[in-house]
Amino acid sequence: MFESAFAQLRYAASVLFAVPFDLRSLDRLVDGILATKQEFGSLGADSAEFLGGPELDEETRRDVQIRRFRKQAVRAAEETDYYSSQFTTLGVDPSRLTFEDIARIPVTPKKALLNNPDAFVRRGSNPAFRTTTTGTTGKPTSVYFTAREIQATGLLAAISFLQSGQITPEDIVQISTSSRATLGNTCFSQAVQRIGAVWYQTGLVDPAQALALLSESHHLPGKKNRASFLNTYASYLGELVECGLNSGYSPKDFGVDHISVGGEIVTEGLKRRCRKLFGSVEFIQSYAMTETWPFGATFCEEGHLHFEPSQGLLEIVDPDTAQPGKPGQTGTMVVTPFAPYREASVVLRYDTEDLVQPVFGPLGCSLKHWTATTDLLGKLRLAIRTANGWVYPRQIREALESLEEVPLPARCGFWAIEGGVAVEVAVRKIDSSIRNRIGQSLEERGVPVCELYLEEDPSQLQHQLPLRCDLREILFERSVIKL
Amino acid sequence: MVLASIVVLFHVVTSVILAWLYFRRYTMTRPPIGVFNLGDVAVMLVMVILVPLLYLMLPIWMVIVLLTLAGLSILYFTWEPVLKSSWFIWLVTLVLAGADLFTALAPDINPVWFLAINNIVMLISVVGVTNLWAQSGMKARHAAILGAALAVYDLIATSLLPLMNDLFARLDGLPFAPTIAWPINAAGPWLGIGLGDLVLTAVFPLVMRKAFGRMAGIFAMAFGLGAIGLLILSVLFGFVEIFPVMVVLGPLMVCQYAYWIQRRPERTTWQYLQAEPTK
Ligand SMILES: [Zn+2]
Repeated sequence: MFESAFAQLRYAASVLFAVPFDLRSLDRLVDGILATKQEFGSLGADSAEFLGGPELDEETRRDVQIRRFRKQAVRAAEETDYYSSQFTTLGVDPSRLTFEDIARIPVTPKKALLNNPDAFVRRGSNPAFRTTTTGTTGKPTSVYFTAREIQATGLLAAISFLQSGQITPEDIVQISTSSRATLGNTCFSQAVQRIGAVWYQTGLVDPAQALALLSESHHLPGKKNRASFLNTYASYLGELVECGLNSGYSPKDFGVDHISVGGEIVTEGLKRRCRKLFGSVEFIQSYAMTETWPFGATFCEEGHLHFEPSQGLLEIVDPDTAQPGKPGQTGTMVVTPFAPYREASVVLRYDTEDLVQPVFGPLGCSLKHWTATTDLLGKLRLAIRTANGWVYPRQIREALESLEEVPLPARCGFWAIEGGVAVEVAVRKIDSSIRNRIGQSLEERGVPVCELYLEEDPSQLQHQLPLRCDLREILFERSVIKL
Repeated sequence: MVLASIVVLFHVVTSVILAWLYFRRYTMTRPPIGVFNLGDVAVMLVMVILVPLLYLMLPIWMVIVLLTLAGLSILYFTWEPVLKSSWFIWLVTLVLAGADLFTALAPDINPVWFLAINNIVMLISVVGVTNLWAQSGMKARHAAILGAALAVYDLIATSLLPLMNDLFARLDGLPFAPTIAWPINAAGPWLGIGLGDLVLTAVFPLVMRKAFGRMAGIFAMAFGLGAIGLLILSVLFGFVEIFPVMVVLGPLMVCQYAYWIQRRPERTTWQYLQAEPTK
């Protein structure tokens, strides 16, 4: 109790005063949570408030955020090549920034990090790990982390999973993400094994193989008898659902109770159809990206994305003016992760190119004191602006994946034409009724569809949106389990 | 002498039984994260060794401040789950503490008044401290280890060194003095039992009940009270004057733990509440 009380104080000091995390204390905290759960079956009252970060009123939030932003800006200006030249040109003193000044610092485009990731690493830091994005387009972006950062993130993730009860020592966790997604895979697997659960990585193999592993019976001491937690991408989950239902699998063949799904737009249709295969599972959705890791968003029960304000600054910026958006207006997320969560490579105002709308209070959800946005609408470069407003990848995917006639994941594309957009999509079988149903579903979601092209062969699609499941990892032919 | 024995024994029995009833009826607020563990046993032993030395070394006013702070906080968290409304908890806490301080410090008050009040305050404190430990996940194993270590310490401190005698003399009549006592005659010597011994006697039935079931708890209560009863009798008949209570209680605790652990594994709080839900 004393040990765990000290660990809690040390943790609170990092959260409140942005001093680096102490790995030993984090480790003690994990032990404390495990022991508490084992003894009492649950954590004490107030544990969610304690671990969820401080509840800040608007004024304190701005105060905390500007102080942390300044700290990160000073480090960036003094210790990184990229920002030292930028601040010199700007003529701004990073230690005297006000909240209003933040908008004067130009956003950091993806291109800058892509071209020279080393220029973002702080002098004097000790980078140990270079991770690259699994990006669906072009050259991957790199970010450097220290060994401490990776360990701390793994432990913080373990604490978060334990606190929410999403992963327990009895779980068997299947990770079906790209084997090259080293950052996410490393931190997640470290968290899982620290909790005491079992994990294995399948990679993005033939879905039949992944399903065979998922339905395998286990007889491990103290563990559930089947894989109980699946971590994957939306499109690959779609492939699993499609392949599983076609192969005659049903909920009785699986023991999955939680599916952590992310990296792409997760649609209601996907979740509904997924339950046909796996039964009643709980979906865990979050938002994170390599460049701004580990500052990300958590989903609340009302479907907002929430960002913990002491971990980083989220701005929603009008893509045309690069200024803060107005209420209800769509913008791209511009993100600054703060210390102590980000130590080696610093990014200020990183342009994620992800579109969302801000959500303003008062909110009634459980994370109401965190900054809130709508769910992701899609990448800016994939969205289309028509005379009557934006068309987002989310609208298209939601419309298509809600229909059984469209195989999962929906393989589709859309582009601007006179008076609206043209949409193309792969379907099981082309007939007139499906054409009407798709058109109707798109219109219901506000897509001004003027032309609709259906294909039975996905390879015939001309403008297909990229899907992570297509980063397929190959196996020797003989090792694929035949169903 | 007989009256003093009856008064002390009455307080001992009442505190042990009240602690037992409180354990089943009230849930104290536990910290969000943390379980009583062996590290805490070690910390307690260090405190048991250091705190008496502090009491002997510090100026008397500082000892009074420390005792009062400890007394106030123990009273507050003991009443918290019982009275619920925070002003009511403070009211009861402050009235009790005020009465203790007043009868101890005001001049020209018969010391019997102080003993009467302080005995009640200590009785409540025993209920609070034992429940705080047991409800924080203290295991029977921890209590047995603590008991064994204290038996050794008590033997050295009370019998071989003048430490305990000095301590009792020093704390005599101070507010929140950690003893339950009653004068033997008008001249002043009194019969008493230290708070630490009483806490160990009262906590053991709770952790044994949690660990091994109701019977184990009742046996622990019977053995503990029986031992203290016999000790008071032997004082009454003049066999001893000062006796290290833990020297008897410690081995008794170890024996009971050894008996039960061979028959069934120790339950966690969660398993105990699954098997014997409260309310
Ligand atoms: Zn919300």
